Amino acid sequence: MAALVRNATCHTAFAVELSGVWKRYRQRQRSGRLRDLVRNLLHPEVRTVEALRGVDLQVRHGEIVAYAGPNGAGKSTTIKLLCGLLSPDAGTVRALGMAPVRDRVRYVGRIGVVFGQRTELWWDHPIAASYEWKRVVWGVPRERYERMLGFVKELLGLDEFFQSLARELSLGQRMRADLGLALLHEPELLLLDEPTIGLDVLAKRTMLAAIKELNRTRGITVLVTSHDMEDLEQLAGRIVLIHRGRIAFDGPFDRLRREVADRRRLALVTAGGPAPVLSGAALLRSHDDRHEYVFDPQQVRLADLLAQASAQAEILDVETHRESIDDVVAGIYERWQRDGAAPAGAAARDSDPPNRD
Amino acid sequence: MLPQTPAPSSPGPCGGADRGQRVLAAGLMRLLRLWRVYAYLDLLFVTRNLRSLLIYYTSDAVLAVAAVTATFLLAERFGSIGAWTRDQVLFMLGYAILVRAIPDLFFGYNVMHVSRRIGRGQFDHTLVQPLPVWLSLGAEGFMPFSGSGALVPALVLTLWAGARLSLPPSLPWLALLALNLAASVAIYLSFSFLWGSLAFWAPHAAEEISSSATAMLGALKPFPLDGVGPILAGSLLTLVPAGFVAWYPCRALLGLDPAPYGAAVTPVAAVGFALVTVVVFARGMRHYGRTGSQRYLPHGFRR
Repeated sequence: MAALVRNATCHTAFAVELSGVWKRYRQRQRSGRLRDLVRNLLHPEVRTVEALRGVDLQVRHGEIVAYAGPNGAGKSTTIKLLCGLLSPDAGTVRALGMAPVRDRVRYVGRIGVVFGQRTELWWDHPIAASYEWKRVVWGVPRERYERMLGFVKELLGLDEFFQSLARELSLGQRMRADLGLALLHEPELLLLDEPTIGLDVLAKRTMLAAIKELNRTRGITVLVTSHDMEDLEQLAGRIVLIHRGRIAFDGPFDRLRREVADRRRLALVTAGGPAPVLSGAALLRSHDDRHEYVFDPQQVRLADLLAQASAQAEILDVETHRESIDDVVAGIYERWQRDGAAPAGAAARDSDPPNRD
Repeated sequence: MLPQTPAPSSPGPCGGADRGQRVLAAGLMRLLRLWRVYAYLDLLFVTRNLRSLLIYYTSDAVLAVAAVTATFLLAERFGSIGAWTRDQVLFMLGYAILVRAIPDLFFGYNVMHVSRRIGRGQFDHTLVQPLPVWLSLGAEGFMPFSGSGALVPALVLTLWAGARLSLPPSLPWLALLALNLAASVAIYLSFSFLWGSLAFWAPHAAEEISSSATAMLGALKPFPLDGVGPILAGSLLTLVPAGFVAWYPCRALLGLDPAPYGAAVTPVAAVGFALVTVVVFARGMRHYGRTGSQRYLPHGFRR
């Protein structure tokens, strides 16, 4: 029966469709001055913050999409819209062929949600009890539950702490248990908000591998937010960058590197003296005769830089590597902060939202 | 000729009613299944160690009795309070504790103190469950083991006072008692949810408003209000409906109310309070859908 219902509602090619979505919040402003106390009480100044400004986003079934942006860019708002926790001020939100708020009860039965900063686990109970709770509340048939329980236990290595209390787990174990809980009802769409926040390298690797495996073997659509670009690049082929409520980039990671300029890092260790001045490369930092530069290989050849350096100092060691995706995106964020510009490939919309009032 | 049984899909003249009954029955079955799993979680919680178990029950019972001790001592000292004999006061106190004990049993985990859930951003956890909100809230707080500390002293006190008053345990009277008890609980809950809805608009400022509202009812509930003036009595039956928590229904049940339909007043009032609460809470939820929660605090949730 469940399968029939699923098939009946999944005619669209997209698992997620956001079309011209606007979301505004009102924020009270206070001066902090005593003389403004009465004015703040009687006529508070209210600022409207546009969290999302005409966002268009489509995610295909079975795709993993990384959703990134600086703090306050609108990532969590998008996830909340897709969880059915918020309704848009304008535009339409559809996922799995449904409107998340209007069809909430039916819809949330088919998605899995993990918030890295929250837990769905029962704090004073063993993980096993939380899983049993999930089975009953989500109405998962016993046979499907047993099958999925075996699957998530193996995928996430839950056996070692399945009978432990949630409050006694490490953060990594807790996140694995939370992810397993989100999967028990076989969701078609997985919404992950900062799932690797605070995790150590090993725990992160386990989480990322599990999510990729889920996508590969079960075709689950995944939308994941994180500030850790290395994680996102490992996980997803496509990245959507959001800035000030607009989609600023939507495409593969490689294209992001190319369009932003696929820069290289060059580190030189010299025998002493000042850092060599290299034409075509910018000095990033110098420390203990180690000098780090960034350059664009399209503009200047590495051999030319090395020749310039050798002419100015005795070179003891040379390292060169591609700029990490974290550095690429940090560079973009800095540029946005500096001049508010979006990178090439920007998909920002300039139209105003339809007036709902 | 055997009568034809209509096919299940045929609407028939009473199709709508049948469907309504089926939906209701399915909802009740779902609620029972949910209660079972919440009872299981609660049993695991109270049995985590013996010391906690004993402390839990003892402290709950002491708190419940302490809340009405002052009134009992007054009645004991003077033999009566106004028109109420000592045993009638005892009955009312038992009833008052029951009205607190029943929500403790069914609406724990801060469901009764709903402003905490809303104000702390924990309402999101309810909304990501594939259940109607009423069903989630009706099931999530079921704590038959850890929430029953006040129930036993309440029942003992009510039965003891009832026996001393030689109350007729007739079926109609017991039905009236159950109806009034349910109505008093509904008013108690409505008051908590009505004020608690403010947290949709002011999550930080109103985080504790449900607990303050129920504490206010709790402080006023154990007193017979016969002697107070009409304005104050009216206020205590409308603005702060402490009179409906124990005094008014007990007055009717014990035959102290001259009005012929006194026993129906509390149930009617409960319907009114519940309707207002549903409207306000629904408006609050719509507001929540527009603004969401800007804060999240994990404490007190599923702990």
